[in-house]
Amino acid sequence: MLKIAEHKDPQHSFKAEKFLSAEKLYLPLSQHTGKPSKICVEKKQTVRKNQLIAKSDGFISASLHAPVKGEILEIKKHFHPKFGKIKSIILKTELDNNQDNSLNHSFDLEKTAKEDILTAIAEAGVVGMGGAGFPAQVKLNPPKKIDTLIINGCECEPYLASDHRLMVENLEEIFKGIGVISKLVRPKEIIFAVEENKEEAIKKINYFINTKKTNLPKVKLKILKSRYPQGGEKQLIYSLTKRKISGKMLPLDLGCIVDNVATCFAIYEAAYLRQPLTRRIVTFCGDALVKPKNIWLNIGTTLGELIDKKIIEFKEKPKKIIFGGPMTGDTVVNLSTPILKTTSGVLFLEKLPKEEEESACIRCGRCINYCPMDLMPLEYVKMVKNKKYKNLENYQIKDCIECGCCSYICPAQIPVLDYIKLGKEKIK
Amino acid sequence: MNQKLKLIISGSPHLKHNVKTPRIMRDVIIGLLPAIGASIYFFGIWAVILIFNCTITAIVTEKVINKIRRQKNSIGDYSAVVTGILVALILPVSIKWYGATLGTIFAILVGKHLFGGLGSNIFNPALLGRAFLAAAYPKMLTTYTEPGQFDTITQATPLMLQKFSNQTTSLSKLFIGNTSGSLGETSAICLLIGGIYLLLRKSAGWRIPLSLLISLSLASTIGYLINPDLGRPIFHLLAGGLFLGAFFMATDPATTPVTKKGKFIFGATCGILIMIIRYFSNLPEGVMYSILFVNAAVPLINRYTRPKSFGKKEKQ
Repeated sequence: MLKIAEHKDPQHSFKAEKFLSAEKLYLPLSQHTGKPSKICVEKKQTVRKNQLIAKSDGFISASLHAPVKGEILEIKKHFHPKFGKIKSIILKTELDNNQDNSLNHSFDLEKTAKEDILTAIAEAGVVGMGGAGFPAQVKLNPPKKIDTLIINGCECEPYLASDHRLMVENLEEIFKGIGVISKLVRPKEIIFAVEENKEEAIKKINYFINTKKTNLPKVKLKILKSRYPQGGEKQLIYSLTKRKISGKMLPLDLGCIVDNVATCFAIYEAAYLRQPLTRRIVTFCGDALVKPKNIWLNIGTTLGELIDKKIIEFKEKPKKIIFGGPMTGDTVVNLSTPILKTTSGVLFLEKLPKEEEESACIRCGRCINYCPMDLMPLEYVKMVKNKKYKNLENYQIKDCIECGCCSYICPAQIPVLDYIKLGKEKIK
Repeated sequence: MNQKLKLIISGSPHLKHNVKTPRIMRDVIIGLLPAIGASIYFFGIWAVILIFNCTITAIVTEKVINKIRRQKNSIGDYSAVVTGILVALILPVSIKWYGATLGTIFAILVGKHLFGGLGSNIFNPALLGRAFLAAAYPKMLTTYTEPGQFDTITQATPLMLQKFSNQTTSLSKLFIGNTSGSLGETSAICLLIGGIYLLLRKSAGWRIPLSLLISLSLASTIGYLINPDLGRPIFHLLAGGLFLGAFFMATDPATTPVTKKGKFIFGATCGILIMIIRYFSNLPEGVMYSILFVNAAVPLINRYTRPKSFGKKEKQ
């Protein structure tokens, strides 16, 4: 695995602020893996805070809720950081005078049946918040026996700090969320994996484990070296258990479940408070900003509004805006692109690595050395260039997790991953 | 939004590592500097002339081919300069100037560009250039001069002495480089310094040099145990072009395997072949031919050492 300059300071130690008063929210129907949600509201309709506005459509799908009270302005195609333009619900928010306090009661989980907890999580629209956005209830109802539950606090991508802040500021809730998961999947062992650069979080977790609060699950903290892409599910499982999850397998095939810390937090809110997933911490950073920030935002908040309200300020005009981390994130060009359930950070970069023209592959094999899936990226480049798409599958191109290590390391400046994505597209 | 932004769209990742092809090639040149220095120290102005001759020829040839192939100017990746310097360093200092020029042209033209240019060549261009000269002008390539003597008094190299007259050269002489031999191959210490520099800068992989040195040590130890007249293992490590070959020729990315396992196999095979040639053939030295020979086997090695995709148990 790769050692990459971390760029996590100073946002790593900045307390998360709050901005929950965006005027317009843009809520795309696809913020998760699986089928898009189905709209269940109409134009001009007024919705309550936390009201279901699009419901889960099928087994692998997720529900979507209104983060605040407001009026449905429009339902139309709007910018999505990954998929171009997709159907979205546009919500004009209204000031809520009588704050909805119905959520403040806490459910006693001891007395709640497993099925009811799963339903609560499904109804809250919880998805994996590490990036993939896999619906949580599906993962938490495994058809096989699970022996190891892994809590992913690695946050191995440079720049990002949202998971770290959550661990530092909301650890008790995360632990309660872990308790819920553990009740559902009954693992033999719970491993909390954190990379060594998150000292503050490690201190906190250690304190929590050692003070042994009775109602919290028994968790083993494992501190890992800071490497990319260790936060990837397969790589993390291998680092912790030496089990190799192949491209075609799921973690549960070898008895593992991995959940991100932010997902644990969302599961806690869903199970204990029946609070749907409508907000999250997002890291805003990059050299184009005056100051990096971690901010609690409603899902659907646009960059444009944050800029207009001077929540984020530019020092220089950014040349690239990236949703997600710098290794796997997607560039966006429209400032009305909204924050999604899976957006852990937004990068504003002014200084970019010098764009150099792709030169000839010198066959050094660095891409092979660093491929976490043990593939031969340079062969894919050759096959795609020669239009020999048939061979791609023989070389297991589908196992590629698109971590980008090959493009990052290539001394000939070949955008290896771009070729791989093109190849995957061709054999679809 | 009052500010107009010009935003770039691109695929991930958005970060780049700083090791780039020109840097790798530049590092090879820097790594060769100690050996170049030693060659100038031992062979004086003739070393300078030879290196200049080959380097300039390499650059000019590359430029001309760029023109003919309508390519972008590829001098900037330094690979032609590296080839030029390497050709000079593996030739005897007494070689006629036109021999060196021809060898370099052959290296760049046939060794590199006829195969498709940087990255597509099968054989190490510099070694191919020398092999061409060895076939075309055998006499030129077997006339070696002792350092400091610039008249053409022919001197046998340490490996020749060992092989044909069973005379051993002192190890300290081999280590420092005060022996006869090709221009840049004599000083083991200087090559070692350059090689370690390359490894530390990660501009050359460690797998090939390591496996080559280990396999050669093992093979020569076995040889020595059977017949001590064949020379001690440490002699075979220090003599001839071994360090030059192990650190600067066998690590050429284009002509060596791409897989991790393949790199070990490549190095180990080279090491054994070198000893087989040194022991059983009529040639005193085998570094050039063994590397060229295993170069030819690289596609095969790549094919059979394809890594299994992560978590796959059976080969599909």
